[in-house]
Amino acid sequence: MGTLRYILRRLFFCACLVVGVSLILFALINAIGNPIEILLAERPGMTDEIVAEISRYYGLDGSVTDRYLTWAGAMLQGDFGTSIIYNQPVGGMLVTFGLETLKIQVPGILIALLASVGASVLAATRQYSRVDFGVISAAMLGHSLPGFFVGILLILVFAYWLGILPSYGAYSTRSMLMDSEIIDGLWHMVLPVSMLAFFNTATLTLLLRASLVDTLRQDYITAARAAGLPERRVVLGHALRNAFIPVLTYLGILFGLMLGTAPVTETVFTWPGLGALYIMAIQQLDYPLIMGTTMVITVMLVAATLLTDIAYVLIDPRIRLG
Amino acid sequence: MDAAIPAPLPAPPVKPPGIWRQGWYRFRRNRGGMVGLGLVLLVVLVALACPFLAPHDPGDQSAMLRGGARAAPSWLHPLGTDRMGYDVLSRVLYGAPTALAVGLGAMAIASLVGIVIGGIAGYVGGLLDEVLMRFAEFFLVIPVFVVILAVVRLFGIIVVGTPLEKVPHLNLLTIIALLGLFGWPPIARMARAEFLRLKQAEFVEAAICIGATKRDILLRHILPNALPSLIVLVALGIGGAVLAEAMVSFLGFGDPKAISWGQMLYFNYEALKVAPWGSLAPGVAIFLTVLGFNLLADGLTDAFNPRLRQ
Repeated sequence: MGTLRYILRRLFFCACLVVGVSLILFALINAIGNPIEILLAERPGMTDEIVAEISRYYGLDGSVTDRYLTWAGAMLQGDFGTSIIYNQPVGGMLVTFGLETLKIQVPGILIALLASVGASVLAATRQYSRVDFGVISAAMLGHSLPGFFVGILLILVFAYWLGILPSYGAYSTRSMLMDSEIIDGLWHMVLPVSMLAFFNTATLTLLLRASLVDTLRQDYITAARAAGLPERRVVLGHALRNAFIPVLTYLGILFGLMLGTAPVTETVFTWPGLGALYIMAIQQLDYPLIMGTTMVITVMLVAATLLTDIAYVLIDPRIRLG
Repeated sequence: MDAAIPAPLPAPPVKPPGIWRQGWYRFRRNRGGMVGLGLVLLVVLVALACPFLAPHDPGDQSAMLRGGARAAPSWLHPLGTDRMGYDVLSRVLYGAPTALAVGLGAMAIASLVGIVIGGIAGYVGGLLDEVLMRFAEFFLVIPVFVVILAVVRLFGIIVVGTPLEKVPHLNLLTIIALLGLFGWPPIARMARAEFLRLKQAEFVEAAICIGATKRDILLRHILPNALPSLIVLVALGIGGAVLAEAMVSFLGFGDPKAISWGQMLYFNYEALKVAPWGSLAPGVAIFLTVLGFNLLADGLTDAFNPRLRQ
């Protein structure tokens, strides 16, 4: 009962969050006035009538509250409006570009999870040794390296100097395509995924190692050892599972951080994802696209936070629901 | 604490080391922390002395006239010249004051807002605490970077035609203000926890007993004791703000009139293949600065919250 109430309360808070973000952006976009007027300001032969007509076409007449309610109502039914620049339904664009973003983000997190488990087990079981010091130092360095700079370095080394991996985009153009489309797609994913995995691994290793060191000192670990369990099972079966609990909450935050900085990642690799779409949208003041992209990023991020919150409560019965 | 011991002993001849001095003793033994402090001092030194250290004027584009843009490192230009004919080393050195201004400015705002909100929430408690902390959580969960990008871009349009337009470096100031206004929640959370803990401390009870005013209790008894925990977050936040400004500038939403590392990356990234030094040098500068503040924060955690880790 308590858990269900907690989940419902979190759901309500998350809904407020999404509404809040949409309000902030809507208010901002409105503060600049009619985007159509700004976009058309330098075009020759634009009369007031034409501007008014185009504004009406994009639903930019009427009061601010009316417009917000119309937009929100349509969005809840899955209609994100029409992009001004691309003249396409925003909803479809969000799906296409969103999938591209997830295509690099999800492997980036999964690979990092595996790598950080390996690294932190290696370090925590040999606390204060050279291996431990090396892992911590590498993780600290990696954590402080700006992600986009890692991307730039990767491109410089693997695309320009060694010339073995593509430097931009998600696909080759049809005429350049040498292998099957799937292999070509995977080939393009290597560098962006490496960059994301690199940063995530460094951050997760720092957290997981600290947590694992702490867990290995607990009495139940001593008890497990005293009972004669092989060290492998003590570490991998007992300690690691418990050490993961504090890291779990951070997983949602990390995923959110990666999504939030997707504009940077996707600019470095010219990746056709949500972040790149968002940059184009705000540069060109394509307001339906700005709203749509922000909403999708916010919802994904909030969903990740919500899922980790719930998982946290379900996994660890010691957590007090507050 | 001393006042709570009713011992008629003679006063100790030496004043016992205070909370800051004790912290320094512990900090000094932390190798990583000292490296971080060294890096931070280096950045500060460069920021103060860049007019004397830089071999060229940061606005000097004369290399372009000689056909020397994108030139590889040489004696005349130790780190080469970039796409616009600027001397890379000079621009990197002059980027240090900008980076520090962003980091310190943003964290000054964030600390002020965070300590006021967190302090009130922790000290008053009750419904106000609940409301303020939900508010803080809102800012923690939303995609801050995405919102900042939109605000920077849209604010640049809003100010056109208003008196604000004439403020020098308005764009950079906007970024600093935004990073501060979105960066306070972690500080508020920590401040709340500390105020909550300290308001029940014995020395605060003692202060109440001797009739200290509420203002004195908050500012002279609780706040100074809460600062060591907060300073860790401030150090982390400075590094974070430097990085965030670099990312905003890298995407082309930075201040075109300011010399910043992110701005250099933005201008030189497309020439990465022919003139990699133009992108590598500012990238390394960002890395060293962020690493310095991260290591410093790490050392400070060990120094002030030794119980947190062993």
